[in-house]
Amino acid sequence: MSVTTTMDHFILIVLSMCVAFVPRYLPMRIFASRKIPDWFNEWMKYVPVSLFTALVVKDVFLNTETYTFVGFSNIAKILASLIVIAVSYFSRSMGLAVVVGLIAVALLSVFVPV
Amino acid sequence: MKKSATSLKEVFQIAMPLCLSYVPIGLACGILLHAAGFNFLMTALVSMLVFSGGAQFMIASMLTIQAPLQTILLMLLFLEMRYALLGSSLSQYVRGTSKKFLLIFAASLNDENYAVNYLKFATDKTWTPQNALSVEHFSLLFWTVSNLIGSLVGSFITINLTIVDYALTALFIYMIVMQIKNNLTILIIVISGVIAVITMVWMKSTMGLVVATLLASLIGFALEKILVKKGMKKSFLLKKMKPNAGRKEISKSGD
Repeated sequence: MSVTTTMDHFILIVLSMCVAFVPRYLPMRIFASRKIPDWFNEWMKYVPVSLFTALVVKDVFLNTETYTFVGFSNIAKILASLIVIAVSYFSRSMGLAVVVGLIAVALLSVFVPV
Repeated sequence: MKKSATSLKEVFQIAMPLCLSYVPIGLACGILLHAAGFNFLMTALVSMLVFSGGAQFMIASMLTIQAPLQTILLMLLFLEMRYALLGSSLSQYVRGTSKKFLLIFAASLNDENYAVNYLKFATDKTWTPQNALSVEHFSLLFWTVSNLIGSLVGSFITINLTIVDYALTALFIYMIVMQIKNNLTILIIVISGVIAVITMVWMKSTMGLVVATLLASLIGFALEKILVKKGMKKSFLLKKMKPNAGRKEISKSGD
């Protein structure tokens, strides 16, 4: 099912709200009285890192229209990403990392392919 | 000196750095949602009901590549699953609150207000669940208003979306960097990246992301199990890294 009209958007928002709410609520509710199983914690630890990496790789190294690997041709994004890594590591500030990243990619896109 | 209960004004001061960091990200997110076809009202709704930077950017970029509803929801589920972990670690501090409170509290929990609240709960004995809820609502307010301004900006001027879209990637890179605790994490990042390219090129869809996430997280889980079993806790892969600036940004605003 593709999502195009305002009604579709509304349905998408309501369903997204449920998807966003359940993982926030249920474990907090359940583990307020029970112990968290170790295997669950140990597996969950690697889910965010794996997902975030896959998403970054999709934006930087893939063409999302044809799903082809573009190697190192998005030079602006690759360089900006290195800058974002450095800013994140040294400042630990999310806002600064995003702002510097946006400025870097905007400036770099003037000189090299995005 | 005995510390008394925290006033709403003090809570606001604690939440301030967090709220301000939402402004640029919220603006970018609002612009993208507008470009994805969301009107002003829908942008307000999604910011209040979903209230997750990552999820909203994901919705916007998935809509621009015409992804089907079920794929968007499946990706969101993976994206939001990390809250199971955050939620369960906060559970010890919200014991004894009502069911209604827990519902409201869970609805506006996200990465950044979690970080602030977890640290306050752990270090400040006077920090109450009610204070924590106020932090969530201050951040929710700033987030929603920034998104709405972004939505308006997007309808007045045309902006190169490839560049604005990069805000999401920068956000994820930041979250990756914050999660690096040992060399095994770095190995998993490399493994996940390689698998993601292979699965997405092979499946020609965003389902590749789902498969790559599952495979890479299970490999990480298995590798850690094996290393710990072999008594290699102090090995090169599992040795704890010293965090850089610590949690300076958060503790500066607190205490």
